Amino acid sequence: MPELSYRDKDTVIHALSPLVKLAWGGGLVVLSLIFNHPVYILILFLSIIPMVRLAGVGREWASTLKFALWLGLSIIVINALFSYHGDHVLIAAPFRLPAVGQPVITLEAIAFGAVMALKLVVIISVFTLINLTVHPDDIMAVLLKMRLPYKSVLVTSLSTRFVPCLVEDMGRISDGYRTRGVQLDSGGWFKKIKNRGKITLALLANSLDRAVQVAEAMEARAFGNGKKRVFYKDITISKMDAVTLGVGILPLAAGIAVRVLGFGDYQYYPKLSSIGFGGWEWALPAIMIVLLAAVVPLAFLKRRVEFD
Amino acid sequence: MIRIRELNFTYNGADKPALNNINLTIEDGQFVLLTGASGGGKSTLCRCFNGLVPHFYGGKISGKAEVQGMDILETPPKELATKVGMVFQDPENQLVTTDVEREIAFGLENLGYPKNLIARRIEEALDTAGIAHLRFARNNELSGGEKQKVAIASVLALHPEILVLDEPTSELDPQSAEEVLRLLERLNDELGLTVILIEQRLDRVVHLVDRLLVMGGGKIIADGTPGEVMNGDIGGLGIGLPPVIRLMRELKSHNAALNGLPLTVKDARLRLQKVLRGVKPVAFTDAGASLEPVLNIDKLWFAYGERAVLRNINLDIERGGFIAVMGRNASGKTTLVKQLNGLLKPTKGKIRLDGVDTRKSTAADLSRRVGYVFQNPNDHLFADTVEDEIAFSLRNRRADEAQIARAVEGMLEEFELGRYRKSYPRNLSGGEKQRVALASVLVGEPEVIVLDEPTRGMDYVLKKKLISFLDDYRRQGNTVIMVSHDVETIAECARRVVLLSEGRVVVEGNKRDVLAKALLFSPQINRLAQALSGYGVADTTLTVGEMLEQIG
Repeated sequence: MPELSYRDKDTVIHALSPLVKLAWGGGLVVLSLIFNHPVYILILFLSIIPMVRLAGVGREWASTLKFALWLGLSIIVINALFSYHGDHVLIAAPFRLPAVGQPVITLEAIAFGAVMALKLVVIISVFTLINLTVHPDDIMAVLLKMRLPYKSVLVTSLSTRFVPCLVEDMGRISDGYRTRGVQLDSGGWFKKIKNRGKITLALLANSLDRAVQVAEAMEARAFGNGKKRVFYKDITISKMDAVTLGVGILPLAAGIAVRVLGFGDYQYYPKLSSIGFGGWEWALPAIMIVLLAAVVPLAFLKRRVEFD
Repeated sequence: MIRIRELNFTYNGADKPALNNINLTIEDGQFVLLTGASGGGKSTLCRCFNGLVPHFYGGKISGKAEVQGMDILETPPKELATKVGMVFQDPENQLVTTDVEREIAFGLENLGYPKNLIARRIEEALDTAGIAHLRFARNNELSGGEKQKVAIASVLALHPEILVLDEPTSELDPQSAEEVLRLLERLNDELGLTVILIEQRLDRVVHLVDRLLVMGGGKIIADGTPGEVMNGDIGGLGIGLPPVIRLMRELKSHNAALNGLPLTVKDARLRLQKVLRGVKPVAFTDAGASLEPVLNIDKLWFAYGERAVLRNINLDIERGGFIAVMGRNASGKTTLVKQLNGLLKPTKGKIRLDGVDTRKSTAADLSRRVGYVFQNPNDHLFADTVEDEIAFSLRNRRADEAQIARAVEGMLEEFELGRYRKSYPRNLSGGEKQRVALASVLVGEPEVIVLDEPTRGMDYVLKKKLISFLDDYRRQGNTVIMVSHDVETIAECARRVVLLSEGRVVVEGNKRDVLAKALLFSPQINRLAQALSGYGVADTTLTVGEMLEQIG
């Protein structure tokens, strides 16, 4: 399985300002939540593909996509099995349940589940793309730019940095238990929970030890000495970045406007409404496509400006 | 310059002082080695140099301590950071950012230096530490040795006048440790940096330093050049002398023509060549263990995903044997021994314990017969008291309480842990924790015991006790399997050595066949013996005792 953490790569997407990527990606997540129309959600999903290709992270994305699709499939199945709304009954159970009535699987429930699943795929894909193309310290720098307190941002960043250590610790502590005769994965659920609880306590003790060591190392390197901190790799915004950032935010702004004006909604129950757009309304998704894709030529332009 | 007068320090809640009337002056540009038994106050003293003691830890302090003219009792560590750089034992827990460049910038950013100065300092630090090629590397992808070099670079960037290192090589393999020590030598030699290094393995560093300080019970119990300290009465210092020095001390007591002490194998060779007369030829007879195998490894392959880590291992481990498993980092040593108690299961092939395929049992079941001691004792410690910790496995087997009480008492006595019986295990010192971990495994009386790097970071006294215990344990018909990089310990106690490389057994056999005449894995005495073979010294000599038999 390919590694899903940031790697430095020489691509136009990696070269984009982290602010642009976070604004564009954040916009996509918000849009996927506020839109209900399947065509708009599909557009959001398709807009990720060129970004992924240009960033050269297709393999990594494909591996998370596989996971997201399984998760999506489970949403479709669960919604179909437990949501009995909708007029088009595809399968009806030959029995009735108290308080629920006759369980049925409807076309509407499947369609609703499918669009929810696609929203989930969009959100997971955005997080994957950001994770693979934005340096974790740049995320921290962006948060600082947004005037979040440095110490809180640092604590968050340190917590994520030590997640792999925590996973390793857990493996070692579990092995420690096994070598002392504890059957961690057998017995009833109560015993399993009790055993896992013991591991958590040992893990906590390890983490506290680690926290003291990290704090000591930071103190020894003048952390919190009262002087105004400088950020060596601060995020600077060139004119080109400012333009790209503006363009990166546009899909979100336009999407919100579309929704406020009452477009982009879709009715799933009791009957699926028509998927097509009446009159000039087709222009709205077309505009969204253009705006979502506009960041790509600007990414190339930025590269050219830098070379010049 | 560091000037300490009548310094006493007691941690909050402790009943005895960690530092007891310390008087010490360290001149600029010295390379000082600080050693001594575990819990003797070395780390506390080092943390005084940059103010972590008392400002970070808190406690009761009295006396005077000045570093480069600054009063430590009044100056917090963050203000001393540009005077004293400190590198810690664990390479993982001192790196706070995600990549090398940002790690080096961290301290400079905290000090609010202008960006152009930070850029210059980063360049200097990268070049000085010899890690320019790692500039954009991610910290979590570095090896232990590289992480320590990054930690050193990140404090060098602050331009400290004194560099303090608390056992920086104890978690590294020999090659990485060597690289880090070479870097320190260069920093002291070429840049005139004062270096204060805590280290247990004197053989690694003693030839590099100007001064040797030994601490014990919170006091400085020996101070002088390495030659002076090691030439004097070392009884009670709790330090392990490098084998060549032990040999020369023994020889000197009989041969007045030998002057001074050699600090390196080369030095010892030159001195011995001058006085070597009669050599008594000996034939070493290494007593063999039983031929009956307790463990049989048959065509073993193991892979993590698609990456093969062990490749076609075939090995019989005989009952009553003492087997050392050696090899470079990532050669598959730990992966191999984890198969023996079922923590990992073969991808292909079989391991049989007394003829029974281990794949049919869980690690928990196998633990009754194959004990496993992890490198980090914290991985063993879960209980609230030392007593409960030791009783854990027996209680888990639902043994009779009277039997448990007897077994626990036996272990407390064996490992001298009686006075800690009600203590919280994680609050003990490193050496004490190691003893609790060992007791907690051995209380189950496994017939095979596997130890992963048990002597790493261990002081001399503890190491000696552990070796003698394991030897007794083996004599009772049990089997000891030890993963280690510690060639000197292996030469003393192992009977058979298995050398792994890239997941394959490259050499395996009697320790004499494997360790003697090897380039990298031969002990100091064997390197000396090889050079003296022209005089009739057997080139398979491994230990001081064996050498003395021939030339003593």
